[in-house]
Amino acid sequence: MKTRSACILDGAPRDVPALDDAVRHVVKTLDERGWTTTVQRLREMEIAPCRGCFACWVKTPGECIIDDAARDVARAAIHSDLLVYVTPVTFGGYSSTLKKAVDRMIPLILPYFTFVGSEVHHIRRYPTAPNLLGVGLMPERDERQERAFRALIRRNSINFHAADAEVCLLHEGSLDPRSSIVAALEEVTAE
Amino acid sequence: MTRTLTVLIGSPRGLDRSNSAALSRILLDAFDESVWTIDWIHLHEAVGSKDAAAKLVAEVTNSDLILFAAPLYVDSLPAPAIEAFERVVAARAGRPDDAKTPRFAVLLNCGFIEPRQNATAVEICRVISDAAGFEWFGDLALGGGGHVTGRIRKALREAGASLANGFPISPDTRKRVRRPVMPKLLYVLGGNLMWRRLAKANGLTKEALLGQPYV
Repeated sequence: MKTRSACILDGAPRDVPALDDAVRHVVKTLDERGWTTTVQRLREMEIAPCRGCFACWVKTPGECIIDDAARDVARAAIHSDLLVYVTPVTFGGYSSTLKKAVDRMIPLILPYFTFVGSEVHHIRRYPTAPNLLGVGLMPERDERQERAFRALIRRNSINFHAADAEVCLLHEGSLDPRSSIVAALEEVTAE
Repeated sequence: MTRTLTVLIGSPRGLDRSNSAALSRILLDAFDESVWTIDWIHLHEAVGSKDAAAKLVAEVTNSDLILFAAPLYVDSLPAPAIEAFERVVAARAGRPDDAKTPRFAVLLNCGFIEPRQNATAVEICRVISDAAGFEWFGDLALGGGGHVTGRIRKALREAGASLANGFPISPDTRKRVRRPVMPKLLYVLGGNLMWRRLAKANGLTKEALLGQPYV
């Protein structure tokens, strides 16, 4: 049986112990289940923001013209069975550190439009796409931001053609963050 | 008395070449220049250096009204716009109780035909508004890749008139842009033709456009 792999994007803008722990829990849980894992610590990588030039669609199809670490992130993401975003929930979405890498993933889809349900979206470029897990850390409960974060993960999964997506929301001082992460991973990695 | 409007452009294409700036200019038609001082800031540049970020915070803090215009990027705002607001919110965290409360209006545009695909990004903007201590003054969320029909132009001007006269963007104006600017199928067919043409202009075949460099 093929070993399954996960690509974990650590979107912490600086050292945040609770996010470091979350990354460790994700890696440990997957390791115990026989997965291979790679962690991309985005704050230590040179990643320029997307220029909005669409060259990745109409000049160098499938690859961003900016030659930096975002290319490696996109390559690792599309080769994985599971893509995990770990981020402080920032205004109900991702940190700018994570978002920079996510914005540079549009080469993974085609420019062409199609219908997904009743909505227009871009066609997939590759035959398969990783499932998506969003692990978000919040200082405290905030229903509005939690709703936005869940919606964002769900919308991203539609746009990147993920077959399944899950969200795990952690709150600083959570007594047992590992259990929440394990439960979310079980959902999103179920065959 | 002169009032200050700061226009924050969140598109990488900046103040000259972006749909965000072009749409903002239509909306700003209603602003009387003898009443309003209008400053434009490109957020990608504002996060490029400490000085530029400090200027952003100072301008935002002194504004009566902020118009934030950006394209939808992967269901949210472009990363540099998020970074800019991370800095603004951090800088305003310890503001005094009597600090000015700028009004905050948002103009989003997306490359999909359905304006409702901006919904998550609009919600993120509302959270930003609260976190920064702004007063939410409404949003206009457009679909259709910057396509401006008469109906869209009218809505932009109505929104501008409301904001210039001290009112939030009205529900009626927002309703005006809720419908797609053309039939969805037409947008899909026309859009796909446009991508093929752009690729051809770069010397690419139809097949090359489908390349999978990471296989």
